[in-house]
Amino acid sequence: MAQRTLNIRGRKVAVAELGKGTPLLYLHGFADIHGATADWLPFHRALAERFRVIAPAHPACAGSDEDEDIETIDDLAFHYLEVMDALKLDHVAVAGACVGGWVAAELAARDPERITRLALIGASGLYVQDRPIGDLFWEAQPSNGTEFHGFRALMFGDAESATARALFPDRGGDIARELMRYKSMRFASRIGFAPPYFYNRKLRGRLARFRNPALVLWGANDALVPLDHARAYADALPKAKLKTIAGIGHSPHVEAADQTAKLLTGFFGGAKPKPRARRKARARTRGSASPSRRGR
Amino acid sequence: MRPVQLFCWHFMAYPYLPDDFDEKYDTGWVTVPNSLWDREKTDGLYQEYIDQLAYGEELGFDGLVLNEHHQNIYGLMPSPNIIAAALTQRTSRAKIVVLGNLLPLHLNPLRVAEEYAMIDSMSGGRLIAGFAMGGGPEAFNYDIPQPQARARYWEAIDLIKRTWTEDGPFRHDGPHYPLRYVNIWPKPRQTPHPPIWIPGALSIETMDEVASRGYDYFLSSRSHGSATQRAALRFADIIKKYGGTFHPFRMGILLSVYVSETDEQAYEESREGVFYFLKNCLKGHLRKEGRTLTFGAGVPSTSVASWEQYLKNSEPGAAMLGDAKDWKELDEWGSITVGSPKTVRDKLWSLIEQAQVGNLMIQFHFGNMKPELARKSMRLFAEEVAPALRRDSAALFGRNFPQLEPAGSTPLLSNRSAAE
Repeated sequence: MAQRTLNIRGRKVAVAELGKGTPLLYLHGFADIHGATADWLPFHRALAERFRVIAPAHPACAGSDEDEDIETIDDLAFHYLEVMDALKLDHVAVAGACVGGWVAAELAARDPERITRLALIGASGLYVQDRPIGDLFWEAQPSNGTEFHGFRALMFGDAESATARALFPDRGGDIARELMRYKSMRFASRIGFAPPYFYNRKLRGRLARFRNPALVLWGANDALVPLDHARAYADALPKAKLKTIAGIGHSPHVEAADQTAKLLTGFFGGAKPKPRARRKARARTRGSASPSRRGR
Repeated sequence: MRPVQLFCWHFMAYPYLPDDFDEKYDTGWVTVPNSLWDREKTDGLYQEYIDQLAYGEELGFDGLVLNEHHQNIYGLMPSPNIIAAALTQRTSRAKIVVLGNLLPLHLNPLRVAEEYAMIDSMSGGRLIAGFAMGGGPEAFNYDIPQPQARARYWEAIDLIKRTWTEDGPFRHDGPHYPLRYVNIWPKPRQTPHPPIWIPGALSIETMDEVASRGYDYFLSSRSHGSATQRAALRFADIIKKYGGTFHPFRMGILLSVYVSETDEQAYEESREGVFYFLKNCLKGHLRKEGRTLTFGAGVPSTSVASWEQYLKNSEPGAAMLGDAKDWKELDEWGSITVGSPKTVRDKLWSLIEQAQVGNLMIQFHFGNMKPELARKSMRLFAEEVAPALRRDSAALFGRNFPQLEPAGSTPLLSNRSAAE
């Protein structure tokens, strides 16, 4: 696996890359590369047939250093703006799953013209009344000494499938995977453990800033981030399409890899980034909105 | 020479759980439904527990120990400072050890500095100030992210110590608790400040922080044996690294004891309380069954490197203390010492001899144990176990730590039994 290491203000950020062509920045979740496995999943491989998939590991995950300065989602969003600078991704399509989707949405709200297209898969990040995000940390504590059935049930529609058990084995299985889970939780604790629990109340309003196409993709039976969050994202993003996949839980990219990859390929394949033209058009229609306000 | 210091620790368990609690509920912590709280039966419960501690002073114990827990049946002291305040009015000699306030759970460390200063002042300088980080259940109870907790914790401790030792007003510019006006009233009674005790579970990081500041270490393990000695040796090494000198009173351990006239009687009398404690109070904490909240990926308080060590060195699904089914299994944990005065004396003496630890914090009340049994056990301990332990430990420590000051040189540490 092609992997390189960026140095962001003295800290290592591991970046995996696969495929050729238009770059696609992929921000991972828990049941994912860097979150539960060192390898690409079939879903990523399918995407890589059409795109250059670039997948950085979140701070503390996989080969990325932990970052003591990350205490809120805001800190993480700025971390990723720096990662995008380092990767020279000035105009790029972004996909994110779970917390990775939350980060992608935050980036889209902060730097909307930099992101050509946005795909969110089971993304946390929004507050939806009476539809709380499931308690990942509680389920990351074993039952009866060794069992992580509850954790897998948050991640997948079928908690006991071979894939589910391989990615999140009970204790006594694979120490390397258990350690990946620990690192993921260590990362996630920094942005999600303290209230607010995996959401930013201000994000929903800010998403109106992102006027490029968005795809909101959800497993209809998502037990971690309830389906109402998908509707909330689709409502808040001005140019969003919502796709739900029946019979699937929180991880369509694992549970329905082919279908999810196809939907994403179709969505991103339609994007022929002509950033300059688009930005000029935007600048004309929005008058004072300056395309150079990033100041980079 | 100073003899071993004997403390009486009360956890204040909830004693009125239904008989089928273990079958019906997967934890005694955080989510244990408080519909089980009985408003009538609990009339006078705190009074009884406070009375037991006051009785501890009467029996000549050197100190009384309290700690902080939330939303659980194991310990009904969300604020140990309230019980400590009550004890200042019921006692006149014993140390009051709060072990400790869970600093990351407090919005502002000043509040802890102030309340501890009040307790020290109200007790005439009898407070031993403990600071703890709060384990897994407390992380869930107060939504405390664990990766940041350690840094917040040590900043809070350093700030509190400054409030006690430096004249205010001063400014604190730490990253977690920046404060423009630090100027507490009252100040604590003791100078330069109340003794500071820090609990730890063997981690070198914690021992390092404790030793570098010259504080005392409390090993929070409930099981004893060779690991206790290893902890003492490790802490002694680390103290030495910072230019200090280890002696037995730099460290404390938690013990649990039930004493009766004979071994048989001790087992018989304590069975109900002890197994209620193991099965119910430790469920969700030190039991395999149910949901263990104490440590794990959901509350990732230790570094990734430490966790890797843990994964490599621990046996998945191994039984824990609370899983002990009978006295024989329980005995293997070296956790709860049950027996006649002679049995208890011999077992505790071999631990003191082996580990050379000078502060023994002893739990006498377990779960739903009847108050009269806990009191009887305390009395037999004070009359028939403590004198020999004190005499022999003073001699032992005198031989092994000749630099220790002679007894009586620090009036606050003298104890009545030794003087009598």
